[in-house]
Amino acid sequence: MLNQSLIVAGKEILDGWRDRRSLLSSALYSLMGPGVVALVSMASRDLGRPGDGQKVLIAMMSVFTMVSAFVGGMNVAMDSVAGERERRSLLPLLMHPVTRLDLLLGKWLAVAVFSLAGLMLNMLGFALLFQRVPPPALALCLVPLGLLAAALEIWVSTVCRGVKEAHTYLSMLVFLPMGLGMFMVFSPGAGQGWWKFLPVAGQQLQLEAGMRGGEVDLPRILFLGFATAILAAMALLGAADRLERDDVVYGG
Amino acid sequence: MIEVCHLHKQFGALTALRDVSFQAPDGAITGLLGANGAGKSTTLRTICGVLKPGGGEVRVDGVSPAADPLALQRRVGGLLDHTGLYSRLTPREILAFSGRLHGIPWERLSRRVEEVLAFLGMQSVADRRTGGFSQGERMKTALGRALIHAPKNLLLDEPTSGLDVPSVRSLRLLLQRMRDAGACILFSSHVLEEVRALCDRVVILAQGRVVAEGTPGELCRRAGVATLEDAFVSFTDAAEVASC
Repeated sequence: MLNQSLIVAGKEILDGWRDRRSLLSSALYSLMGPGVVALVSMASRDLGRPGDGQKVLIAMMSVFTMVSAFVGGMNVAMDSVAGERERRSLLPLLMHPVTRLDLLLGKWLAVAVFSLAGLMLNMLGFALLFQRVPPPALALCLVPLGLLAAALEIWVSTVCRGVKEAHTYLSMLVFLPMGLGMFMVFSPGAGQGWWKFLPVAGQQLQLEAGMRGGEVDLPRILFLGFATAILAAMALLGAADRLERDDVVYGG
Repeated sequence: MIEVCHLHKQFGALTALRDVSFQAPDGAITGLLGANGAGKSTTLRTICGVLKPGGGEVRVDGVSPAADPLALQRRVGGLLDHTGLYSRLTPREILAFSGRLHGIPWERLSRRVEEVLAFLGMQSVADRRTGGFSQGERMKTALGRALIHAPKNLLLDEPTSGLDVPSVRSLRLLLQRMRDAGACILFSSHVLEEVRALCDRVVILAQGRVVAEGTPGELCRRAGVATLEDAFVSFTDAAEVASC
């Protein structure tokens, strides 16, 4: 079972790697955060407000990091399910002795690899430009975030009949961490109480605290990782259920 | 051998198949003939286990997809509806991917890929990405994918559509070679000339029902006409009148 999923994942990773235009666009989106924050940082230095400005800059860094998890695998998710339906390669694929859940798990693994690569590229950018690296313990909540982003993207892509439709909805999905993140940066009430335990929002707050050099709350990180993994599993089960339907074998 | 017994399939309010029953024996090419929307593609997709039957049963070499869908898919190869290739992969990579999903061990896989490439005469394009392929090259790659696990049963849904004359001819020769080697080939088409040239048996579908079955000669005799085209029109017209 796992072997079949790994075969599918391997093929998707090779296919995604060779799609250089999409790869370049994902890499640019992942590095957009460090670039934008660097520009804002220079502007705020010119305006002479280092104290408040730095707080906002770190919050912005964490928002861009959240977004990078979603943009990293977006193109692969789009191509591997909606694209598969559009070019009618899903029907031949379903004729292989592989369960649909295994197929989906393979595609999810491949998307997760690109999501995590986007996340790492983004953090590398921040590390090089600002010499700020989050504590290693934060990997326990950032890796599940990459897995959740991949699962949500696979689910959206499974619902869509073609690449264009998937692109529209996946672009909207990227607004989830961006909108939520920006709301928390500029809204004083947000980021308190239950927000800290909400997947995506909780990760952002934890990352922000980690980048500022604050305490790492390990129980909270573990809870967030667990809650995020549950949400990812639900998205995958939803996608698998969608893939069982008859109309999925008909093209776009 | 493919056995279809009382197959029924419904898509919402549309009944695609009604009590479809026929057999496709080994060592023969069976033609599935019908107008657009007659149920040919739905029948083939149900046989290969991609669609679940609404009623009735399919057995391939005695295996039913309801009992073991994956075992059935190991026995069947198919070229259904469209070639559906990965444009950034080469034929060699596509065949290897397909072979691995069919469970061909690593040590045999590369030899099997070479065999299929040689069988289809594709060695010269084996390492070119399929994105720039002609229709004939695409069809051959898709056929190679269907043959990689050496299935005893082959399903083809209008495989010659869009192909040029040399490609049609090479496909025809290839199917005849497979038939002579004992394969069971189920071939859907609405090109009567092609069916006549290739098929040992013909099953005519109209409005989701089997309206006639037999050798081309038998069908002509039964309809009292000289050509398969006239026999086809006669049987489908009769089915239309009966359904009114």
